[in-house]
Amino acid sequence: MSARRSKAGQTGLWIAVGVIILFVLAPIYWMIATGFKTTAGVAAQPPQLFPNPISFENYTSAFTSYSFGTYIMNSLIVSIATTVLVLAFGTLAGYALGRMPIKGKLPILVALLMISVFPAIALIAPLYLLMREVNWLNSYQALIVPYTALNLPFAIWILRNYFMGVPKEMEETSRIDGASPLRTVWSVVLPMALPGLFTAGIFAFTACWTEFLMALSFNSADAFRTIPVGIALFGTPHVTPYGIIFAAATVAVVPIAILVLVFRKSVVSGLTSGAVKG
Amino acid sequence: MVTAGTVPRRGRASRTSSHDARGALPPRRNAYQQSMARLGWGFSAPALVVIAAVTIFPIVFSVVMSFSNVNVLGSGFSIDGFTLSNYTTVFQASVWQYALAFTVGYTVVTVTLEIVIGTLIALVLERLEAFRGWMMAILLIPWSLITVISATLWGYIYDPTYGIADRIFGALGMGSPVILGTPTSAIIAMIVADVWKTTPFVTIIVLAGLVMLPRDVYEAAEVDGASGWKTFWTVTLPLLRPTIALAVLFRILQAFGVFDLPFVLTQGGPRNATTSLAILGYRVMFTDLKFGPGAAVATTTAVLVVLGCLLFLRVFKSQVTETGDES
Repeated sequence: MSARRSKAGQTGLWIAVGVIILFVLAPIYWMIATGFKTTAGVAAQPPQLFPNPISFENYTSAFTSYSFGTYIMNSLIVSIATTVLVLAFGTLAGYALGRMPIKGKLPILVALLMISVFPAIALIAPLYLLMREVNWLNSYQALIVPYTALNLPFAIWILRNYFMGVPKEMEETSRIDGASPLRTVWSVVLPMALPGLFTAGIFAFTACWTEFLMALSFNSADAFRTIPVGIALFGTPHVTPYGIIFAAATVAVVPIAILVLVFRKSVVSGLTSGAVKG
Repeated sequence: MVTAGTVPRRGRASRTSSHDARGALPPRRNAYQQSMARLGWGFSAPALVVIAAVTIFPIVFSVVMSFSNVNVLGSGFSIDGFTLSNYTTVFQASVWQYALAFTVGYTVVTVTLEIVIGTLIALVLERLEAFRGWMMAILLIPWSLITVISATLWGYIYDPTYGIADRIFGALGMGSPVILGTPTSAIIAMIVADVWKTTPFVTIIVLAGLVMLPRDVYEAAEVDGASGWKTFWTVTLPLLRPTIALAVLFRILQAFGVFDLPFVLTQGGPRNATTSLAILGYRVMFTDLKFGPGAAVATTTAVLVVLGCLLFLRVFKSQVTETGDES
């Protein structure tokens, strides 16, 4: 195909690529730039295309005058705890559903798919009332438990696919050596399914980091807000301090951006295997 | 559809492997298999229990609530009596009728735009020889962005006083519309924000599908002298159909439950113009504290999502078999 490609076609291609990059990155640039503007710079007319002067005042006030430090800590606690639980439970269940002689595997796997399709709004009311009964509102477990449940189906599917690719002989050898099934999973199967663990882990972490509806419904007290809730409920109805919000947002984007860029291949394979298998 | 393609393969794999096991350890097979099955349930139990507690139980509870008189008291709540009044109240409310129409329309428009634009971008990126990995990385940024942040960002872009959109319209001689102030422009603004955030997701899926297409089919079309567009319509698109259909399915599910974006960008306004079913359900439950009607809104939304998916899978399944017969 490349032989056919003309010089004009090549130029057109690069123009198209440029337009795509602009379309995707311009709003992101605007967010980061606004975070570095002074209060006067944010309000300046015409808008400053480049922050002038570059200021860190938004960053300091987001963390000193406002509780963004708390929100980020809450998001980290909830996301990391959920990811660990999802990987632990997902590994066991994925291995059992992939490799162990359980009856009724298919109905379970189909039920998992159906559950992952269900809209969160339908779960909110009963969970809210239930959590109110057991005094879980405004606590970490109010988010960790539902997040774990909602992210497990995808993790189980992904991990199961990876486990089924591990040669059966390796497990047999380990078993003949006298290792318990749990030991075999830990020291033989899991190391070979590392890419699957990365994919499942990144998806669980990202989902927790970005989830809003449940976090808003269950944990609206300032001390337990995650980043999305903190940002959505920030400011007053009439004044939105955009500079501070975008400084905090930039900080919130960094961990995910690093994760996603470093594990780019795992993310893409997760998205597409989700599309092919999910 | 896709499961139909993969499951038999798995079935075959597990059959051969159990055959191997039978050959290796004939006498102990039954006892061993039984203990492994028990252990398998033990392995699955933590995951299945958590999932059931957080999904199956609330789903049942939600349906019960939607057919009951629910009173939320100071610290607890009471449920009594079977009633259809939650549903009749909801169905008769013009807010719900509008929210339903809006959610369906919004889903159709955004998903269509995202699929078309996303596929076009994927076709462009597929022609890149170098740099494709970097483009994938760039595309992952909007996908991984917290929706609340992107909604706030677009709110700032549309801001009547500080917003840059206002400036751009002014520079183009289109005056300065109050973008989030009138229903039509607020809906368009919301669609633009959604398209920006989600098109990259479609592109990544379609691009992965494109890269995996068999090269020889293209070469055959080229030998036949088919033009670029003709090749696209007659070769690429039919082969991509399963990939695109899956992307559509995912997007429908997400778009139908749209909540974060209107909650932050428009608060469902102006005058309820961007009130989706999820926004309405949330408002009825948590602002008006009417959990019965709220559960009815939520249950109807869930039923519509499930029905929509089943319908889509049905239509799509027949298409797959058609293309399957052709090849």
